[in-house]
Amino acid sequence: MKDFITVSELNEYINSLLSEDLFLRSFWLKGEISGFRLYQQSGHLYFNLKDKDSSVNCVMFKSRARKVNFQLEDGMEVLLRASVSVFARQGRYQVYVEEMQPYGLGGLYLQLEKLKRELDAKGYFNAEKKQAIPEMPSCVGIVTSQDGAALRDILKVIRQRNRGIRILLVHSTVQGEGAARELAEGIRLLNEHAEAELIIIGRGGGSLEDLMAFNSEEVVKAIYESNIPLISAVGHEVDFSLSDLAADLRAATPTQAAQMAVPDIASLKEEIIKSRQGLERAISRKIQYNSELLDRIMMRKVWKESRAMLAQREDILQELIRSLLRAIKDKQKGKEQGLSLLASSLDALSPLKTMQRGYALVRKDSYLLKDGDAVEIGDELQLSLWNAELEVEVKTKERVKR
Amino acid sequence: MKKLKFEDALKKLGDIVDELESGELELEDSIKKFEEGIKLSLLCQQELEKADGKIQRLIKTLDGEIEVLDINI
Repeated sequence: MKDFITVSELNEYINSLLSEDLFLRSFWLKGEISGFRLYQQSGHLYFNLKDKDSSVNCVMFKSRARKVNFQLEDGMEVLLRASVSVFARQGRYQVYVEEMQPYGLGGLYLQLEKLKRELDAKGYFNAEKKQAIPEMPSCVGIVTSQDGAALRDILKVIRQRNRGIRILLVHSTVQGEGAARELAEGIRLLNEHAEAELIIIGRGGGSLEDLMAFNSEEVVKAIYESNIPLISAVGHEVDFSLSDLAADLRAATPTQAAQMAVPDIASLKEEIIKSRQGLERAISRKIQYNSELLDRIMMRKVWKESRAMLAQREDILQELIRSLLRAIKDKQKGKEQGLSLLASSLDALSPLKTMQRGYALVRKDSYLLKDGDAVEIGDELQLSLWNAELEVEVKTKERVKR
Repeated sequence: MKKLKFEDALKKLGDIVDELESGELELEDSIKKFEEGIKLSLLCQQELEKADGKIQRLIKTLDGEIEVLDINI
């Protein structure tokens, strides 16, 4: 008789070999799901995991399966942590799954797209809910890991651009368990504190898996509900995170977020100086223009001529004044001479000279008589000779023609 | 002058410069605008230079109080 072992002993022996291997006790395995089935009674999951050339049976017990937070289906690529042991009844080895995540773009994208549609339907990404980013915040809130490169990058850029900015940091883990909740709480804390004028949430680059907290409904909702404008800065290669979609502004990296958040004080100062120079240039141009205008007006003939005319008139006036003064002087000088001259001309006009030559003045009732018709016979007349006054009576009257 | 926000002041300053540079204002208005512009530019500059620059950490304590701590990073 040859030595032999039973089937059970064989399986048991192989199983012991497998369980002695440390690697097989816990490892990560990647593959595509096929033949997926869920046993309703037990709640256990069964499927094959395959790649191009191979396939292996997998089982995930209900207690572990409960933690799977995405929909499993055939064709999905997954990453799972597992151990291997022998399923003695069928004499084959089996993979026992401890935890499972969608693998890479395929699986995560499916999950992400689904969540994106849901959140979009809730209005979390609505463009009309976006708030304007303040141009010149004096206080910026940051929600990120205090140990991360993202924080260092943001602080570096903000300080370069404006050392005066006040920073309010809320530390949060940015990946793994609890990250989504901490990020969301950080946003809410800054809103409650209400002194930051702008919030940056973010982290540096990482795999899509690393960034999943920024794709959680919890964080998206907190961003949507934030009364403070928010910039999402998740460094990554993929097209978007859901935080980006919900944020008021999206930056590709934390560095870019800081550039967007804080204007460069040096260039602002330059802008102000340029404005002031512009003001000074414009006002001096205005003044120059007006003074030129004045000059041109003053150069016109009318001003010159009128001045000439005025001068001329003044000459005439001066001349008149001079001759007036002269006349007054002359008058005073020849006062007596003038007086005798006046007397002689008066003398020339006097009727006495004429009367001396034999003429007489005849008056009636002291009126000088010029017309014979005014005289009646019997009238008394006064006769003036050059050296006598006579009273006479009219005896006759005869008209004569001379 | 009423307290303007920096960005409003800066924008107004730009508008005044444009207005003045257009040369369409009367001399008297130009001078008024010029004075206003200079005031705004000084205001903006002051605003830029009022620096605090503190870095603080915000923490919510267990009894729900918000604590603000100055930190050095």
